[in-house]
Amino acid sequence: MIDRLHSSTSISRRTALALPLGLAGLSAAPRQAAAEPEPVRGGTMVMIVNPEPSTLAHYAVSAGNIPMIATQVYEGLLTYDWDQKPQPNLAKSWEVSPDGKTITFKLQTGVTFHNGAPFTSADVQYSFMEVLKKVHPTAPVVLAELIAVDTPDAETAVFRLANPAPYMMKAMAARDLPIVCKSVFEGTDPLSNPTANKPIGTGPFKFVSWERGQSLRLDRNEKYWKPGLPYLNRIVARFIPDAGTRSAAMETGEAHFAGYSAVNYADVARMKQNPILDTTTKGYEMTPALSVLELNSHHPHLDKKEVRQAIAYAIDRTFIRDNVMFGYGEPATGPLSRKFVGLYTDQVRRYDVPNRLEIANKLLDDSGLPRGADGSRFELHLEVNSFGEQWLRQAEYLKQALAQIGITVILRSEDTATWLRRAYTDYDYDISEPFLSQGIDPVVGLNRQYLSSQIRKGVTFVNNSFYANPKIDRLLGEGRTEIDPAKRTEIYHKVQQILTEDSPLIWLVDVQYVSIFNRKLHNHTTGPLGTYQAFETAWLEK
Amino acid sequence: MRAGFARFARNRLALFGAVVLLLVLVLVVSAPLAYPNNPFQLVGKPLQPPGGAFLLGTDTLGRDVAAGIAYGSRTSMLIGLSATLAAIGIGILVGGIAGYYRGRVELVLMRVTEFFQTIPAFVLAILIVAVLSPSVPSEIIAIAAVSWPGIARLVRGEFVALGGREFVLACAGLGASDLRIIFRHLLPNCLPPIIAVGSLLIGTAILIEAGLAFLGLGDPNVMSWGLIISAGRAVLRQAWWIATFPGIAILLTVLGVNLVGDGLGEVLNPRLRNR
Repeated sequence: MIDRLHSSTSISRRTALALPLGLAGLSAAPRQAAAEPEPVRGGTMVMIVNPEPSTLAHYAVSAGNIPMIATQVYEGLLTYDWDQKPQPNLAKSWEVSPDGKTITFKLQTGVTFHNGAPFTSADVQYSFMEVLKKVHPTAPVVLAELIAVDTPDAETAVFRLANPAPYMMKAMAARDLPIVCKSVFEGTDPLSNPTANKPIGTGPFKFVSWERGQSLRLDRNEKYWKPGLPYLNRIVARFIPDAGTRSAAMETGEAHFAGYSAVNYADVARMKQNPILDTTTKGYEMTPALSVLELNSHHPHLDKKEVRQAIAYAIDRTFIRDNVMFGYGEPATGPLSRKFVGLYTDQVRRYDVPNRLEIANKLLDDSGLPRGADGSRFELHLEVNSFGEQWLRQAEYLKQALAQIGITVILRSEDTATWLRRAYTDYDYDISEPFLSQGIDPVVGLNRQYLSSQIRKGVTFVNNSFYANPKIDRLLGEGRTEIDPAKRTEIYHKVQQILTEDSPLIWLVDVQYVSIFNRKLHNHTTGPLGTYQAFETAWLEK
Repeated sequence: MRAGFARFARNRLALFGAVVLLLVLVLVVSAPLAYPNNPFQLVGKPLQPPGGAFLLGTDTLGRDVAAGIAYGSRTSMLIGLSATLAAIGIGILVGGIAGYYRGRVELVLMRVTEFFQTIPAFVLAILIVAVLSPSVPSEIIAIAAVSWPGIARLVRGEFVALGGREFVLACAGLGASDLRIIFRHLLPNCLPPIIAVGSLLIGTAILIEAGLAFLGLGDPNVMSWGLIISAGRAVLRQAWWIATFPGIAILLTVLGVNLVGDGLGEVLNPRLRNR
């Protein structure tokens, strides 16, 4: 992923990583060689979280606004470096058996939860088997192969799998699989546990208070097991419903950090001009998402591969990226985000060729769908995504783009519930324009969209295009258990080639989030999980 | 009639309003001639300031703002006029029946009218459009549904006032049917205030339509002023022209409608004639 924001500063990736990011932006030319400033202790960092979470039960709810707070409190067994390679966290080392069916984690010693209870392998066993596997919405998919967690001693947790699950090792961070305190949860219903909204973890910050509608306070964990950390005394998460006020809070210096596009994309250009602020698109490397068009193949014309391909050819994805997504993201080339480094390939049928409109029109002519007297071949309804007005802009563009190849698009904008019911329950749609998060691995993102078994009436964001290809079903099944990285890459390359050729969906933009931060805040984005990992090494200039 | 026009023309503001409305009507008629392309068409580079290749600049997708305003005037006028006509129809029906028959019928109808009046008009309109799913007909229905109570109360009041007058009693005595009395005698006599109030209603209807479109509840396939403003709002500080020009269009149109409405009210209200 090209970092559009820092590309002008000629700092190599490695330098930018070694330096605190806030400084990397500042030090464009003369100060580049300056030594890394000594971290300063103390201070209160204010971050904007939008929208306000409805709960902090991070182990049971997978809303995107919870982990920004929850990962300060809860920790995972592992964390990830910039190459997305696992790094020790609560587990100091690990070993995967050659058959991929046993993973042995050696745990850190001397770690305590915020309530004073010591952290042991029993907590790991309980978190995975009794909490995450049972009540978490997406963990059961990732942990499907996990049969048991054995605890030979307090410092060892042995994961036993039914089949190899190579993707599991990418989900061990606090964002996806947090470790909770067994003694707090044992014998209670996790969903109504008293600590659901007063989380107790092992993390660098302790939960203090939550004033609904206003702010949430986290204080420094004095007994944090990583020596000398964290630097900050306190983190305050502020909840500001109005987008204009959120931008103003950053511009006045009232807040120091706004991750996950909490500031509207439209305002980001202005923030970049502000001398006290800087922006980064780093920290979202493990948060891939695509904006797509779902095509209902029960429609007589959309059933034809050639028609779907013609639609794919008709769309200028760069235009959407530049004018709808405010320049953030990359034009998508296929079903997989570029963020799946290694698995992604652009060696597929390309729909962004110069003579794409010509090809599209020819495909439609050859499919026996000639233009009528008014230049229109046929009509399709497009369900407008109701999550914000940028999607209406995209729909308006698509209508114009498809008019070029003689497809008349009629936009239908309804409330979220009606849209989702039309698209995923009643299947009363032709084209829908959702935004799909791809999860930590293709197993999460691809399987639910393209497996024939995922045609599940009434379940949102699964296979509603009625795509059923035995070859894809087989390949995605193989990709799930293949532990040899080279073979796995080969499988997913093949999957991307077949899917791009069949074009069951149209892939538009590989979405890129952006963080805005005050230049006084250093070391805030230290890994690919960005805002979804603890601010343990972040520090504020006095 | 001529005297009436002279009286109207003496009111400079009303005359100004009429001129503005005339210009809007010219826009309505000439939109397809001046801009043969569909207003949603991407005609140039996005975010071009006004005065360049495009008179009023282009929006975030590269659509001509001037073309959007021209076509938007058609939507505003179509919805403003149809919704007002529908509201007047419902208002006359409900108010007329209540005012003519009185008694229990009046009690029920007027309570229903009041019920509609107690709900904030815009909120109700949003609700109706959301339920019916956004389209031009559902916008017309929603705006009519929130606009008729005023007319109904007015008509009822006039009917009650006229009901006991000699000419009505005479008609009844001569055996005229209810329908004849209502349509031949009562209604023509209360037409002037209906016209005056109704013309003001057009302005409100245009505002509600713009508001609905601004909130994304307009018909997404039809260009409208509210839609342009909502699209331009996100970039207001970088590209002021996108939201500003349709805003001015709404301001002038509604102002024009209101001034003409006031003028008409003056002309048609005998008590204000000699002011």
